[in-house]
Amino acid sequence: MMDATLLDNLLLGLSTAVSLSNLFYAFAGCLLGTLIGVLPGLGPLATIAILLPITFNLDPTSALIMLAGIYYGAQYGGSTTSILMNLPGESSSVVTCLDGYQMARQGRAGPALAIAALGSFFAGCVGTLIIALFGPPLAEIALKFQAPENFSLMVMGLVMAVVLAHGDLLKTIAMVLIGLLFGLVGTDVNSGAERFTLGVPQLVDGIEMVGVALGLFGISEIINNLHIKEQREALDRKITHFMPTREDMRRSWKPVLRGTAIGSVFGILPGSHAIISSFASYTVEKRLSKHPEKFGTGMIEGVAGPEAANNAAAQTYFIPMLTLGIPTGAVMALMLGAMTMQGIVPGPQVMSQKPELFWGLIVSMWIGNAMLVVLNLPLVGIWVKLLTIPYRLLFPAILLFACIGSYSANNSAVDIYLCALFGLMGYLFIKFGCELAPLLLGFVLGPMMEENLRRALFISEGDPSVLIQRPISASMLAISAAALVLVVLPAVRRKRSEVLVASD
Amino acid sequence: MITIKAPKDFCAGLSFILISGVFLYVAQDYPRGSALQMGPAYFPTTLAGLLFLIGCVVLLRSLVIAGERVGALAKREMVLILGALVVFGALINTAGLIVSCAALLVIGSLASGEFRWREVAVFIVALTTAAILIFYYALGLPFKLGPWS
Repeated sequence: MMDATLLDNLLLGLSTAVSLSNLFYAFAGCLLGTLIGVLPGLGPLATIAILLPITFNLDPTSALIMLAGIYYGAQYGGSTTSILMNLPGESSSVVTCLDGYQMARQGRAGPALAIAALGSFFAGCVGTLIIALFGPPLAEIALKFQAPENFSLMVMGLVMAVVLAHGDLLKTIAMVLIGLLFGLVGTDVNSGAERFTLGVPQLVDGIEMVGVALGLFGISEIINNLHIKEQREALDRKITHFMPTREDMRRSWKPVLRGTAIGSVFGILPGSHAIISSFASYTVEKRLSKHPEKFGTGMIEGVAGPEAANNAAAQTYFIPMLTLGIPTGAVMALMLGAMTMQGIVPGPQVMSQKPELFWGLIVSMWIGNAMLVVLNLPLVGIWVKLLTIPYRLLFPAILLFACIGSYSANNSAVDIYLCALFGLMGYLFIKFGCELAPLLLGFVLGPMMEENLRRALFISEGDPSVLIQRPISASMLAISAAALVLVVLPAVRRKRSEVLVASD
Repeated sequence: MITIKAPKDFCAGLSFILISGVFLYVAQDYPRGSALQMGPAYFPTTLAGLLFLIGCVVLLRSLVIAGERVGALAKREMVLILGALVVFGALINTAGLIVSCAALLVIGSLASGEFRWREVAVFIVALTTAAILIFYYALGLPFKLGPWS
């Protein structure tokens, strides 16, 4: 019977996603995503944060469809600049530069772009299907969770995010803690006491996420980008033919399949999944190749695999957020925030209570993936032209939209000051070698973690061992502990830094 | 003689201690409660305590193990961009959107080091118009447009 319900659900999703307005928002999201994916210096995080307040006025499904489109659209757009200009528009496209740019230098930019787009499209479709297949059973399990399980699940999510993040372990844990602490500012839901508001009435309801995200990822980036003088070099060559040769196709289909599998698995894990998955795929292709020494000189396998991997990961990245209500990365933290602002309580119940949202989003992702192929290949000339816009003409617009974005969340100037404060903090922390994404994760999870811990300790009459007496909760904590121990082991530590630093 | 061997870690550790200190200081007035009935201070104090410990470890580590230098801070850009935000915030509720947009764009553009009056003027007209059309008319957000409204 499973298949019949899946079909019903997909039909419901289809009917939601093909409504004229939702098609428009999917298109708008993909277009915007491609645009910012192409433009270095403006990422999906800042863009989604800027647009969050605007989506208040939209229907929740349309809002999520557009925000999701921005995210996976950026993954596509990032590959275009990597191939044509050796300039990763998105951090996840770094690996694509290695062989993609070399292909472009040999006059084979067209086939490289085509394989990247087709591989991404295939991976995106598979990723979407995986959400549809695995989402419901996962949510089913998560529905049975109680406070102790929920708490341990969040601990596991945060620990995995720390373990799989780029930076130093201790500093990353500290960033999570700082995020959790700032997340607690405002009224304590249990006692009604005001905490850490320092007498500012606007902080009674907590710090607005929009301002935090815009400060951390928008403002600090502007400061950083302005300081580093830009160097951009456009490839001034007409891209004539896109058609990959039969030989290209023969060499690419297996890397695409493997990349899709790798990306789907890594996408579900928290942390820098998109970068790790494309890097892992590249390593695998190099190992399996008969000519590993030729990688880096324009091997099409080195484009096909990683591109498929990061797009598959971009889709399965949604699974924990949609089914468990747990964000595993900064973008998903923002999506979760968007849902909360719409009055939807994130968690496994979303799927049963708002099926049109869940399934509509999934089908729209599939439609969006198809739109992206059309947007990317024929319009590549326009995207390349955009790159010639100097940053000095770009950043004032980002700055203005960031200001209006944080202001319009509450119509209060306090949010703009907070945005400035977090911008300063973000910039300094980048300088001190600390990662910002874990801070935002902690910020979003802070109140939820406290509430679940409180309830867990309440049912156990204050005995913290309740967290290890319940089997599911205990195993999640055991996994977290094992992951932490593993990372500290010297051998794993070396390998981790090799992978994560090399992908930088 | 103590020398800082890892400036990045030193600064990071110091910031962690500073932030945890602020939270611990403010939270000392809140009731702590017990594990059974967690008070408002229970969870934050635990977190801040942990942050303080990590801060100390990172700080001490920076005196022993060598690491990267912090690198030049973008002081000018920092002051101008953050200043532009603060000015925008101070003006938005009194002087309105048009004035605060203009102020933001003028101060912000100074940060690029390639300030051109003509460009900035075009920006102010184009971006302010766009902002009014999108946010005020299309989305109907309750902005004060100018000091008169």
